[in-house]
Amino acid sequence: MTAPDTRALPTLPLQINQGSPTHRFLQVFGLVLLVALAFLGSRANSFQVGLLTQALIYATAIAGLNLVTGYTGMLSIGHSAFFGIGAYTTGILVTERNWNPLTTFIVAFALCFIVGLIVGLPALRIRGINLALVTLALAVAFPELIDRFPGLTGGTLGLNVTLTSLLPPHWTGIGIQNRFEYYYWISVVVLALVLVLCANLTRGRTGLAMRATRDRETAATAVGINLAWIKVFTFGVSAAVTGVAGSVFAMYLGSLSADSSFTLTLSITLITGLVIGGVATVIGPIIGGLAVIYIPHWTEGIHQGETEGLFFGVILIILMFVMPDGLMGLTKRLTRHVVRIKPRAPTGPRASDEELLVAHDQIAHPDPEGKGDTTLALS
Amino acid sequence: MQLFLEYLFDGISNGAIYAALALALVMVFRGTGTINFAQGEMALFTTYIAWGLTTKNVPIILCLLIATGAGFVLGAVTERVLIRPIERKSLLATLIVLLGLFLALNSLDGILWGNENYTMASLFPNKVSSFVSVGGARLYWANLGLWILVAVIVGAMFQLFNHTRLGLHMRATASNRESASLSGIAVGRILMLGWGFSAAIGAVAGILLTPLSPDSLGVGEMFPILIQASAAALLGGLDSPGGAVIAGLMLGVVEALLSGYVSVIGGQLEEAIAFVAIVLVLLVRPQGLFGSKEVERV
Repeated sequence: MTAPDTRALPTLPLQINQGSPTHRFLQVFGLVLLVALAFLGSRANSFQVGLLTQALIYATAIAGLNLVTGYTGMLSIGHSAFFGIGAYTTGILVTERNWNPLTTFIVAFALCFIVGLIVGLPALRIRGINLALVTLALAVAFPELIDRFPGLTGGTLGLNVTLTSLLPPHWTGIGIQNRFEYYYWISVVVLALVLVLCANLTRGRTGLAMRATRDRETAATAVGINLAWIKVFTFGVSAAVTGVAGSVFAMYLGSLSADSSFTLTLSITLITGLVIGGVATVIGPIIGGLAVIYIPHWTEGIHQGETEGLFFGVILIILMFVMPDGLMGLTKRLTRHVVRIKPRAPTGPRASDEELLVAHDQIAHPDPEGKGDTTLALS
Repeated sequence: MQLFLEYLFDGISNGAIYAALALALVMVFRGTGTINFAQGEMALFTTYIAWGLTTKNVPIILCLLIATGAGFVLGAVTERVLIRPIERKSLLATLIVLLGLFLALNSLDGILWGNENYTMASLFPNKVSSFVSVGGARLYWANLGLWILVAVIVGAMFQLFNHTRLGLHMRATASNRESASLSGIAVGRILMLGWGFSAAIGAVAGILLTPLSPDSLGVGEMFPILIQASAAALLGGLDSPGGAVIAGLMLGVVEALLSGYVSVIGGQLEEAIAFVAIVLVLLVRPQGLFGSKEVERV
C-alpha cells in the first residue's frame, strides 16, 4: 500500500514570484532566444536581411511613437517628420561634412529631442486633440520644407548619401558586397538600446507618471505629477528615438526623398504597426515593425501600393474594434491563464502597528476638542 | 490695384472653401468632440463620384446633388458604424479609427480612379472669357458662383442652427449630451445628422474647388485643404461655427496675399504657414478667436 500521492499537478495558472530564480531564468532564456533570433536573421539571404533591417528600423521608430501615444495617450501623426529629420541629419552630415554616420546618430537624437520639445509645447493647452492637429500639420509640412531648401537637402531630386562613408569599417570584417549585413547589425543594436531605454523609462516613476497622465489627468495632477513636464519630456524623448530610427534608415537606404519616404503615410504606417503590436508594451513595437514590412511584402502579388493603404486603413479600424491591445495584449491575456508573474512585495520601511493606530486616530478625529464636525472615515 | 484684386479674389475663393470645410469640422467637433481627419478624404471621395458621373454625361447640377447625397450618407454611416461604438472607449481610439478611415478612403480613391489627375467641369461658365472686370481685375464666374454658393450653404446652416427645432436639438446635444438626452432628444440621431451634414458640406466644397484649376482632381488634392481648414477651425475656435467661417476666409486671403507679394513663400510653403498658424494659436489663444474657453470641473 502506498500513501495517496499528495503532489497533485500544479493548478493553472502557475504563480511565479518576480525576482525568483524561475523568473530570472525565464528572463535570461527570453534574452538568449532574442539574441539567437538576431543571429539567425543575419544568416538569411541578402534580400531577407534587407527586409528584416527595414522591419527593425520601423520597430525602433514605433518604439519611439509608443512612448507618446501608447504610454502617455497623446496621438502623434507627425512622427514621419521626426523620422525624416533624423534621416536628413545623418544624410547631410555624412555627405556635406564627411562625418562618421554612427556619430550623426547622437546629433539626430539631440536635434529631434529639441524639435520634439518645441512641437510638444502646444499639447499642454487643453488636451489630446491639439497634439494630433499640430503633428498632422507637421507631417504635411515636412516634405514641403525639405523641397524648399534644395541646397541643403537636394530638394525634390532627393539626397544621395556618399556611399563610401556608409561602408562597414574594416574591423567588422564585412565586405562591401555584404554591407547590408552591417546595416542589419546596426539596426539590431540601435533597437536593443532603444528598447532598454524605453523599458527603463516606462517601468520607473516616469512610466507611472506617463500612464497616470494618460488615464486621468486630473488625478495625475492631484498626486503631484507635473503634467506639463511629463508631456513635453515624453514627446521629446519619443521624437528623439524615432529620429535615430530615421538615421539608421538613411544609412540603410543611402538616398533620401522626402516626397516618397517621409510623408503622412509613414506616420499612419507607424501608428498601424503600434496598434498591431500592442500599445504600451515593450515588445509590441518589434511585432509591429515586422508586421508593417512583411504584410505588404507577402501580399505583393495582389497589391499595387494603394491596396496596401486600403489594407492598413481597414486593419487599423478593425483592430481598434476587436483587438485594441494588439497582438501583445492578446498574448498577455492568453498566457495569463497559464503563467502569472507575481509582483514583488514593496520594500522599504514599514510603519509599526502603533504608528498606524496613531495615524488612524489623527485622521479620524482631526479635531481633538470635538468642536468640528468633520470626520474622515478610514477603512 | 488690379494685381491686388486678383490676389484678393483668389484668396476669397480659397478662403470660402476653407470656411466651408472648417464649418464641417466644427459641426463634428461640437457633436463628438473630435477632429474628423477623414473630412477631406470624404469630400475627395464624393468629388470623384461627381467627376465620374460627369464623364458619363450626367448634367453637372445632378452630379452635385448625387454627390452631396452620397456625402451625407457617408458621413451618417461613419458616425453610426465607426464612431459611436468607439468613442466611448477613448479619444485616442476615435482618432486612430478616423486615421484608418482617412488612409482607407484615400487608397480606395487611388484603386477606383487611378493616380492620374483629372480636370473637372464647373457648375458655372468656366471659359477663359467668362469673367467680369472689377477695377481692371478679372473676376471669373466660377469664383463668383463659388462665393455665392458657399454663402448660401453657410447661411442655410446658421438658419438651421438658430431657427429650427432640429438646430435647437443640435445645439443642445453639443452643449451637454447627457442633459439633451434626458430632455428627450434622440442624441444618436442628432449626431448622425451632424456628421451627415458636415460630409455633405464637404462634398459641395470639393465640387466647387476642383474646377478652379485644371488637373487638380487627384488623390493628394485634399491633404493641404484639410490642414488649412483645421487651422481655420482652430483659429476661429473649434466650437464656434461663425468663427470657423470668418477664420477660413481670413486664412485664404492672407495666404493668397502673402504668396502673391512675398517671394520667399511663393506658393510653396502654404502648409508650413498653416502649421505655424496652428502652433501659434494653440500657444497664444487655445480657445481661438471666437471659441469658448474649456473649463473642466473636477
